[in-house]
Amino acid sequence: MASDERIRDIGLIRRSISRPELGSVFGLIIIVITFMTLTSISGTFGAMWLNPIGIQAWVELAAFVGILAIGASLLMIAGEFDLSMGANIALAGHSFAIFLLFGVPIELAIILTFIELAFLGFVIGVIVVRTGLPSFIVTLAFWFASRGFAVFLSQTFFNQSRLSVKANLKPPPGGGEDPTLIDNIFAFDKAFGVPFDAEVYYFIILVFIVAFITNRTPYGNWIYASGGDPVAARAVGVPVARVKISLFMISTSLACLLGILTVMTSGASDPKAGDFRELHAIAAAVIGGCALTGGYGSVVGAVLGALIFAIASRGINFVPFIDNNLFRVMLGMLILGSALLNQFLRDRIVKG
Amino acid sequence: MIPSIEFRGVSKFFGNIIALKDISFKVFKGEITALLGDNGAGKSTLIKLLSGVHMPSKGEILLSGEPVNFKSPRQAVSAGIGTVYQDLALQPLMSVTRNFFLGREITKGLFLNMPLMNTITKKEMAKLGIDVADPTQPIGTMSGGQRQTLAIARAIYFGANVLILDEPTSALGQKQQLEVLRTIKKVKELGDIAIIFITHNDMHAKLLGDRFAFLNRGKVLAEGSRDEIDMNNLRPLMAGGAELEKLETEFSRR
Repeated sequence: MASDERIRDIGLIRRSISRPELGSVFGLIIIVITFMTLTSISGTFGAMWLNPIGIQAWVELAAFVGILAIGASLLMIAGEFDLSMGANIALAGHSFAIFLLFGVPIELAIILTFIELAFLGFVIGVIVVRTGLPSFIVTLAFWFASRGFAVFLSQTFFNQSRLSVKANLKPPPGGGEDPTLIDNIFAFDKAFGVPFDAEVYYFIILVFIVAFITNRTPYGNWIYASGGDPVAARAVGVPVARVKISLFMISTSLACLLGILTVMTSGASDPKAGDFRELHAIAAAVIGGCALTGGYGSVVGAVLGALIFAIASRGINFVPFIDNNLFRVMLGMLILGSALLNQFLRDRIVKG
Repeated sequence: MIPSIEFRGVSKFFGNIIALKDISFKVFKGEITALLGDNGAGKSTLIKLLSGVHMPSKGEILLSGEPVNFKSPRQAVSAGIGTVYQDLALQPLMSVTRNFFLGREITKGLFLNMPLMNTITKKEMAKLGIDVADPTQPIGTMSGGQRQTLAIARAIYFGANVLILDEPTSALGQKQQLEVLRTIKKVKELGDIAIIFITHNDMHAKLLGDRFAFLNRGKVLAEGSRDEIDMNNLRPLMAGGAELEKLETEFSRR
């Protein structure tokens, strides 16, 4: 193959232009340089980039948004959308807390919550596939319903909307100061002497697994084909409906993971947990090169998008001379700019 | 020789509409049967009967002499009938190889065997005269003619003995049309595939066809081999013979 005289040696730069995550690589470089400069000016460079607590601030946010962005990007590649992710975090957290308060052992409570959320994803998927309604509308309904149902349950059973489960979670070995640092294999935490919350490690593992699945398995192929041209995909035997339903189940399961971890590390389930996170995840996916029309994008890109979001989001606290509200303006422009850049890069691929 | 496909008095009705009436024709392997007809002649209904989308209302379809009754497209495909539709069923942003094997990927354990699939794609395309330099490139970089070839090569590789080409040249520019005609000729030269070439371009039909069938308003006007059909009469037959004459007299009167 290498001896084919028709292959032009296009070099690494030209070749990488056809990767969907290219735009977000540029974006990440720009955002890091920008914030390194801004923090240098305001004398907080060390606090953000060298101090462990400063690093934790943006790395943990990137992991939280990143885990959701994995689900958001997979769905977007398949041409679908999940607005209910943030609300499902609250539903998962509340469900988990209610199970615990009813005396269910912690391991069983984790399993039950995952089953519940996966089933919810199945229901959403079936509705989308069977009715042909846009997933934007279907999941908008669950954006209301999931959080509403969670608070309804906790009000009904415990007459409060915020559920504390500190008493139901074991304190760390040796009785650390903070009783919410859990000695639990699921939410292995600072108690184990690791520098970050469990989200960060789950995030890294998930990114590797999902990136591998999307690039190197038939299922990954089918995800792209389901979003690119569903009719054509069905014509060659791709089970488009099943692929889409499975992706909604993955999306709700990722929200479930975050919901349970949040309860474990904070010792309580808050009805506002995960508020607006679905939009942050979708922003990360868009910055990372996913096309809203489906068929194009990458999970790695969405991960870089989540990093960009987190650095910009936390970084602004280290730059006191810029107004916090301006951050939102900046973030909005960042999303718009990325979408434009990505569209340009995508067109280049089709034109060759 | 037993025909690969034979239609014996096939009719298809949709309610009170007669889409096809008493259709009979034969298709042989190693031959190109040009199926000609104007819009509304019943060409797409005929394709759908062959590819298992619809079942005939009357008459029978014989596959290598055996009557068949396809209940689904899947059954038709596994019986060796490959249909290449006008829209080709391709994914523009996915690579040549991934398109070739989409839905029928070769795996090694859990994972895609990309090197093997790349090699097969290159080899199968080369058989039809297209040299794919880099099968990992997105299909969006290929010409319309090359994409058509990819869809044909894919159908053949996955076991088609009867290849139905639904107006493969109609959406292409002149140069690419010739590319596709060349591909169809290569398929014929493989020898063991029966080709049904649906077109409304009489030039293309004349160039490639071994047998001809003319559809008009749901009926076969004429059917036969190259020797049996008056080649100079192709165009009037396509437009429905008598109707064209009527039009000619109408115009000459002015």
